[in-house]
Amino acid sequence: MRGSGRARIVEGRIRSGWLLLAAFLVACGSPEPRVAVPGSAGSKTSAVVRADRRAYDGAPPVIAHEDFGMDCNSCHNEAGMEVEGIGFAPPSPHEATTGMSAISRCRQCHVFQATAELFVANEFQGLTQDLRHGRRLNPLAPPTIPHKTFMRENCLACHSGPAAREPIRTDHPERVRCRQCHVPVETGRLFASPAGP
Amino acid sequence: MNRRDLLQVLGATTATGVAAFSCGDRDEATRIADRRDGRSDVDLEWKKAPCRYCGTGCGVEVGVDEGRVVAVRGDEASPVNRGLLCVKGYHLPAFLYGEDRLLYPRLRDGDGWKRISWDQALDLIASKYQEALDSDGPESVAMYGSGQWTVFDGYAATKWFRGGLRSNNLDPNARLCMASAVTGFMTQFQSDEPMGCYDDFEAGDDFVLWGNNMAEMHPVLFSRILENKRTNPGVRIIDIGTRRTPTTDYADLYVEIVPGSDLALANGILHVLFRDRKLDRAFIEENVIFKRGVEDLDEIGWGCYGDQAESYGFQDRPQDASLEEMRRFLDHYTPEHVSEISGVPPAQIEALAQIYGERDRGTVSLWCMGVNQHTRGTWMNNLITDLHLLTGKIGRPGANPFSLTGQPSACGTAREVGTLANRLPADMVVTNEAHRARAEEIWEIESGTVPPKPGYHTLDMFRAFMRGDVKVMWVQTTNPWVTIPNLHRIERKPDDGRFLVVSDIYPTPTTEAADLVLPAAAWVEREGVFGNSERRTQQWEKMIEPPGEAREDAWQIMEVAKRMGMGHLFPWPENDWHEPMFEEYRRFTLGIGKDLASYQQLRETRGMLWPVVDGKETRYRYAAGHDPYVKKSEGVHFYKAKGYGERAACWIRPYHPPAEVPDGDYPFWLSTGRILEHWHSGSMTRRVKQLHQAAPEAYVEINRADAQQLGVKSGDRVQLTTRRGKLELTARVDGRGKPPRGSVFVPFFDEHRLINRLTLDAMDNISKEPDYKKCAVRVERA
Repeated sequence: MRGSGRARIVEGRIRSGWLLLAAFLVACGSPEPRVAVPGSAGSKTSAVVRADRRAYDGAPPVIAHEDFGMDCNSCHNEAGMEVEGIGFAPPSPHEATTGMSAISRCRQCHVFQATAELFVANEFQGLTQDLRHGRRLNPLAPPTIPHKTFMRENCLACHSGPAAREPIRTDHPERVRCRQCHVPVETGRLFASPAGP
Repeated sequence: MNRRDLLQVLGATTATGVAAFSCGDRDEATRIADRRDGRSDVDLEWKKAPCRYCGTGCGVEVGVDEGRVVAVRGDEASPVNRGLLCVKGYHLPAFLYGEDRLLYPRLRDGDGWKRISWDQALDLIASKYQEALDSDGPESVAMYGSGQWTVFDGYAATKWFRGGLRSNNLDPNARLCMASAVTGFMTQFQSDEPMGCYDDFEAGDDFVLWGNNMAEMHPVLFSRILENKRTNPGVRIIDIGTRRTPTTDYADLYVEIVPGSDLALANGILHVLFRDRKLDRAFIEENVIFKRGVEDLDEIGWGCYGDQAESYGFQDRPQDASLEEMRRFLDHYTPEHVSEISGVPPAQIEALAQIYGERDRGTVSLWCMGVNQHTRGTWMNNLITDLHLLTGKIGRPGANPFSLTGQPSACGTAREVGTLANRLPADMVVTNEAHRARAEEIWEIESGTVPPKPGYHTLDMFRAFMRGDVKVMWVQTTNPWVTIPNLHRIERKPDDGRFLVVSDIYPTPTTEAADLVLPAAAWVEREGVFGNSERRTQQWEKMIEPPGEAREDAWQIMEVAKRMGMGHLFPWPENDWHEPMFEEYRRFTLGIGKDLASYQQLRETRGMLWPVVDGKETRYRYAAGHDPYVKKSEGVHFYKAKGYGERAACWIRPYHPPAEVPDGDYPFWLSTGRILEHWHSGSMTRRVKQLHQAAPEAYVEINRADAQQLGVKSGDRVQLTTRRGKLELTARVDGRGKPPRGSVFVPFFDEHRLINRLTLDAMDNISKEPDYKKCAVRVERA
């Protein structure tokens, strides 16, 4: 029962993301599909797959695998973990020690997908990920953080390790205090307009 | 930034060698640039709003781009949720964009529908109401509203009905949800709503959950308790329930009761507190009086058998009692006797009494539908509050009885505006002459306009509609053809001589039952005010245009009123009526301990806890040092209870059995309720991809041993049969909820699998709230 359910889910997932995926493969000329699970055998989660798991950029992703009936933290631990036959289980971006972000009820925000069907079609178009880098004063300046950091306190969960997508992977994970150089942007407006026309 | 600029940025970045883009990301970037002009969340316009769903009232920031909602995020500035949301909240934007949004008014036309104009629709409603008034009087018209109505919708409805149509046949779906909490607070404090606030979740030591699956139903508030427990290891969670739920996983003590025996359990705890002299005598002496009502089971009944099945009008007759009388009354509720009724081991009853009796630990009792949807729900509300009154654990941070609500403005609209059939704004009731006079004065209408007789409560309203005593009914923002118990009783064919108008945002079984359907504006498509569980009034602005010709509920009501010559009730300019309407309503609340904040202050804040005096909110009602109406230097003052000498009433309430219990033919208990992913009848959440895909259909939770005995595995089909109907469902064994042997649970969100065809229309004797948690069912393999 479980096995067939899983096959159905995976099939549905592929179907729903198929057009985007096809375009993506054609554009890249890649010989084999790089979908499914983040970090499996050398491939990285593409922006397309990432978007398919979220209603909009900033929404909690749905759970991309079946219910193994285990504590989420046993694989999604501090460093993340390669799970044989499944792929890389990324670490949690949530703060582990303080505040509302540290609570342990994963499934109040992340849900399994029991079907690929819809109740009624929906025309919602969510905010998509801004793939520009954080803005820089000049090419050598550290980029600003282009997203809110609440619930994303653990920068390295997404910006380092096997699950980190190439464009946002840091080349200096050892410098633990990220926010010493990278600052969040709270507004798109300026304090004062620069002079001149 | 246009597409070319964006690609230039990408190119330039790559050229500097700082980082490289993969071809996949470049492709994605192109796609994004084509569609959204490369927006990032700092480019969007973000505005505050409360969440559309439950009574928690989480703050969200709504991200709007080109007239459409494209994202939300938890509002870090909101004192309710501090940035966190649940899965429903995070997926809010999509509920606005289901493909089948209702866009135009439509009238039944033979077997189908025809589109009509707003003018035609509003004229038709006005003429139907007028015809009924002329031929059968004000008791032949009705309106069924909602705890999801904004304050504006509810205020427009109550003013039109009581001050225009001279009818009290106005009742909200909060009757199915919060009515027992209202009658609980009113019978004990003569003023509705809790004394505490959400800060209790950090201040408390022990959290006793009475029939309350908080981890799924109020997840963000449960997170606050879990966070308190994580940082303070001494914090304890006690889960009293009829099945194991995700909440139980976090409980220090799980107390499993036979359905309905919570009455006996509470009396058992009181017995031990009396026996062990754990009462706070000084507190009782100063602040508490004792009351007792009718206890004769034959007289009270359950509202669903014999004559009561057509009309249930039982009235309690309160009498004075005393501490000594209560002690004698509790004599036979020994732990051993209570254990026989409830199945709770005597040691657990002693343990619960010890928790309530520990003087130096803060105890917070929490409840929602398990206690309220109960044939003795008011009694159960009374008994929980009794535990706090007798131990003095009330009116201070971390020690309070706290009733949670299920709808976003059950408190703000149904209870505070007063859209229940007997209520007026700010705790006033239609049966009180001075209260009616006050309403007539503020509304500037002729003395004697507001009728003194309470209207139909919900179930009697639908019964009267089916009998034909009610000729015209208007339903707004709710889905009774999914949610009324014993649904067979309200099955109807068109052309039955009655007229049903339904305003909603999507087609539902209720719009299918209607003669006229109106498209409503939802949530941030209009300006609004909600009031949450902790007395917090929250305002939001209109952010986007509603689709098609959808219009807000309050506008619909006012337009019909104007067509009936009642335009004087709504004398405000058409393009600027929200603030003046709110400020008129606010006059009811000022100076009596129900004071709402000004509209301007609500605009500027993340909500304010009433009473708001001199611009300051009140976190703890009745408490010295917190509540500006309390003049004492310490302790509490129940100043709203004028009829009780400004003290709270402790009620003696016995155990009564439920209306239907399992027997040889129907050997299982059936309980119904919500799940995390879906909100109420599912008309919004099921249209959200992620939520529907997580929980696509209703199922039945069965105990593993029962399943084995029936030869059923998880995933097999089973048939449920009650005295009222049958339903086939998929079995779930050891799922998120685990009922004990002899008991099953079914969620009610699924309009294609209507569990309310099976439930019983028994109700609370005082609040008239139906009991969806207890009836007898047969379970068989399908």
